[in-house]
Amino acid sequence: MRGLRAVLRKEWTQMFRDQWTLRMAFVIPILELVLFGLIDTNVHHVPTAVFDQSRTPESRQLVQDLVNTGYFEIRSLPGSAEDVRREIVAGKTSVGVLIPPDFARRRLNGEPADFQVLIDGSDSTISSQTLAAASGVAFQRSLEEIAARAHVTDLPLRLHPLLLFNPDSRSANLLIPGLIAILLTFSATFLAAFGIVKERERGTLEQLMVTPVSPAAVVIGKLLPYLALAFAQLIVILILMATLFRVPIHGSVALLFGLSTIYLFSLLALGLLVSSRAKTQMEAIQRAQVILLPSFLLSGYFFPISSLPAWLRPMAYVLPATYYIKIARGIIIRGAGFVDLWPSVAALVAISAILVAASTRAFKKTIG
Amino acid sequence: MTRDFGPVRALDSVSLSISRGEIFGLLGPNGSGKSTLIRILCGLLVPTAGAAFVDGLDVSTSGEEVRRRIGYVPQRFSLYEDLTVLENLDFFASVYGLEGEKAKERRQWAIDLTGIGPYRERLAAQLSGGWKQRLALAASLMHDPRVLFLDEPTAGIDPVARRELWNLLFELAGRGTTVLVATHYMDEAERCGTVAYLYLSKLLVYGKPDELTRLPEVTPGGMRRIEAACDQGVATLMGHARTLPYVEDVTIFGNSLHLLVRAGRDDAAIARDLERETGSRVVVRPIEAALEDVFVRLTKIHAGRNGAPVSPAGPGGNP
Repeated sequence: MRGLRAVLRKEWTQMFRDQWTLRMAFVIPILELVLFGLIDTNVHHVPTAVFDQSRTPESRQLVQDLVNTGYFEIRSLPGSAEDVRREIVAGKTSVGVLIPPDFARRRLNGEPADFQVLIDGSDSTISSQTLAAASGVAFQRSLEEIAARAHVTDLPLRLHPLLLFNPDSRSANLLIPGLIAILLTFSATFLAAFGIVKERERGTLEQLMVTPVSPAAVVIGKLLPYLALAFAQLIVILILMATLFRVPIHGSVALLFGLSTIYLFSLLALGLLVSSRAKTQMEAIQRAQVILLPSFLLSGYFFPISSLPAWLRPMAYVLPATYYIKIARGIIIRGAGFVDLWPSVAALVAISAILVAASTRAFKKTIG
Repeated sequence: MTRDFGPVRALDSVSLSISRGEIFGLLGPNGSGKSTLIRILCGLLVPTAGAAFVDGLDVSTSGEEVRRRIGYVPQRFSLYEDLTVLENLDFFASVYGLEGEKAKERRQWAIDLTGIGPYRERLAAQLSGGWKQRLALAASLMHDPRVLFLDEPTAGIDPVARRELWNLLFELAGRGTTVLVATHYMDEAERCGTVAYLYLSKLLVYGKPDELTRLPEVTPGGMRRIEAACDQGVATLMGHARTLPYVEDVTIFGNSLHLLVRAGRDDAAIARDLERETGSRVVVRPIEAALEDVFVRLTKIHAGRNGAPVSPAGPGGNP
């Protein structure tokens, strides 16, 4: 490969000279990691308004039971059902508890006592979790009383749940491994796309093409330094994940690095493919976005693939990010090994091979 | 060579040969095909028809060997602005496979030739236009090319830097390097050993400057060239000169006019005609055609011919 050493040395020098890009290559992933890592998708202390028309020990007990779940925090005591509604519309509270005047009397008489819980349905995370919590309180109390009346001490079914891999349901453990895939996808694709387009835009690619340097040397000489940079990003992210957010890597770190390398190759090839037709950096950004947005939304990072409409699912399965997210989550969260992950690994290798072949062809065509 | 870009013919059956070790000037207005011609010779473009040979090698089949023997300085500065002068030179040396002592030697030679030594540690982005052009030249000379292509290397640089760059080109030609330079400037054209004039993708003429000025089309039989100088209002003078029946062509040259006139009226008579029209004193003297006159004249003849029906020979017949 004629001129590979020359191109490598030049790219290396340029990469370290461009301090701003170099810094951004680390600042942006760290910033996003910290932001996403701090997000807690578990719901706590949801602002709640209570309109208690009963004002009895029984009604106060109900409110206390709700508060004890940890999901509700009483913020206001409006004077009417209409006021509760208005507070929810205004976004001041997310949950309203309405207790009718006859609540205590019915409780004491052994009749069914009604109470209503209004839930703001505009946020699905809050509404689904508070609904479950409120239902839990009602069921728990009802069961206890039925059991007491029937002099039953043991319930017929006893559930012993155990949340594997993430016993504390920490969001960081779930979010960060997927986030690694997303961060690498963005930075590696852009690095590769810009690397070639910058030379075309500035006319240096043409200058290069009148020298005896081979096109393959240009491509590889550019991509290897970017591969090193993306790898450095990966290491920084993993260290932060393990230390700052205390997300342990349950599986083999070597396997994670090995498969990450394959993934990075597919990304760099994708970036190259994007840049082989683009004439300016602006055009490259726009072309890259066409690919990056689906990687973000369809890869299973935000939404499970099973919740995608049937016609979109095939798209998820051609994205390399889909498989890398499965791999990253498998290794980091579940401690999965190569044997467990081989279908995803095979798919990732196949897609990477196709991308590398396609991008080399496209690049040779545009400059050769 | 002929080269089409889609429906546009950028180069139309251009055929020429350049002697070893000469400075060959390529002239023509913007879009006339100068850059296309150079890019074909450098192997950056493939001709639609015809073939290009550089240093005796067919560019289309021996591309790599040709690239080892040529240097190319494009119109726009195309080295790495984020690298220093030395880093740029080292990069191009190493791309040509020069390493170690040999590379250092060549680098020093290029630095001495172009005088860029004082700026060796400076980033290319921080050089002025003239020094950027010298750096580009130095980089293109690292591998001691036998043929050097320069595409309007002096566009936008100051007159002193322009003159110095040309001195370098003469020095290179003196060492046996063949230099092909595209330019807009007439004074540069007159310094070339041979000039070619491209117009609307066609090669109108090529030859030595003094041969071209004596071409019969430039000063046809029964015509002669004169200069008319006056102390004021050269533009008004030109307007009047155009109305005289025996004046074939008028061009402004600084504070005077160059006229192509039909023979039969002597200088004193012409001066009187012009004085009568303008009321100011006019001095008329005979002159030789300048290179610019050649191009202006040939362009006019060609433009006139273009209005006529297409010639039966058609384009692209001559490979």
